[in-house]
Amino acid sequence: MYGPHPQPDEIPLREREDAMGAYLMMFAAVAVALPLPVINLIAAIVYYFVNRRKSDFIHFHSLQSLLSQFPTTLLNWGLLYWSLQIWLFGNCTICIEFWAYIGLVVFANIVYFVFSLIAAIKAYRGEMYYFFGIGSYCYRVVFKRH
Amino acid sequence: MDFRLTIYQENHTVIVLDFPPLILFGNSEHSDLLLNNQNLFIMMKFDILHQEHYSRGELLLRSILGFFYILIPHGFLLGFLGIAAGVLHFLTFWVVLFTGRYPESWFEFQVKYQRWNLRVSARILNMADGYPAFGLDAEDDKTTLEISYPTEISRGLVLVRAFFGFVYVLIPHGLILGVLGIGVLFVNFIAFWAVLFTAKFPRSMFNFQLSYLRWSQRVSNYLMYLTDQYPPFHGEPDSEDAGENILDADVH
Repeated sequence: MYGPHPQPDEIPLREREDAMGAYLMMFAAVAVALPLPVINLIAAIVYYFVNRRKSDFIHFHSLQSLLSQFPTTLLNWGLLYWSLQIWLFGNCTICIEFWAYIGLVVFANIVYFVFSLIAAIKAYRGEMYYFFGIGSYCYRVVFKRH
Repeated sequence: MDFRLTIYQENHTVIVLDFPPLILFGNSEHSDLLLNNQNLFIMMKFDILHQEHYSRGELLLRSILGFFYILIPHGFLLGFLGIAAGVLHFLTFWVVLFTGRYPESWFEFQVKYQRWNLRVSARILNMADGYPAFGLDAEDDKTTLEISYPTEISRGLVLVRAFFGFVYVLIPHGLILGVLGIGVLFVNFIAFWAVLFTAKFPRSMFNFQLSYLRWSQRVSNYLMYLTDQYPPFHGEPDSEDAGENILDADVH
């Protein structure tokens, strides 16, 4: 049993802005000028816990934004770790796998960036937007009524 | 949605004005006062209550141990909130640029954060007795800070502020506020002794410090995109006689 699905014209502008804001947390690291992959995740977690009770619509988008951070955050951490091993500790050398991994990380970040921006715009318009895999899970978590 | 302001004049004529909504953030009591009273056009209400008597004991306690029991706990929390405020400020730039609106709840957060800062500043400058309350939603009967919510923010001005704010806001205002800041330190030192011996904060010294804080607040509001209004070069309150002919105002 799932709760009622909010329609765009039923959602106040304030809620739409808050939902949009959830996706903008991906820029938190840029805002504090610290290139640490964890900053965005912390910002998304804080934003989620501050806003999740405001409405189902905000809850859905902030949860989706939070969960979508994990894959890229892990990949970025992996790149940071590998880079430090090469340039700081000298435990590894630059190899073809490293360049492939950089390519993967760049691709993942671009995908994440593009889809987050689309989701932010959709949220601002009061629409639902489902990320592959994560979206349906968030829908079940937020709109399921016991 | 626009607000309609109906003005009933003494000579029984009625003026009806339509204008964009100004949503006033603050506790409902103050908001009602602002909406129902004669101050509809005030962009910011910034005040610290001038007490009849000040506690000498608290003054000494604050002066000797204030760093430990006010600045450290409040500064710690305000530091973290300051990071959040900074992140939101950065994001607000982009949101305003694309939507022309300051997200309402972000605006509320910034105002509450500024209000907490004011609570602490008032105590540190010995302008108010009592321990400043913790929390963004805490209320304080000694200080008032309300900023009207602008439904639209100029995108062009946001760009100008972000790129040239340093030149046309920070340099002129910063220079004057810097000099006045030295004056505030001096005045605060004199006021300390005045309060210690007389238990009264001299009104002129109080007003000087209050003006300084209000002026700084206006500059901060402008740079944080909380208002489009360029800060005036003084610390006097927003004109309270803007609606002096208004006998009754109905907001529909």
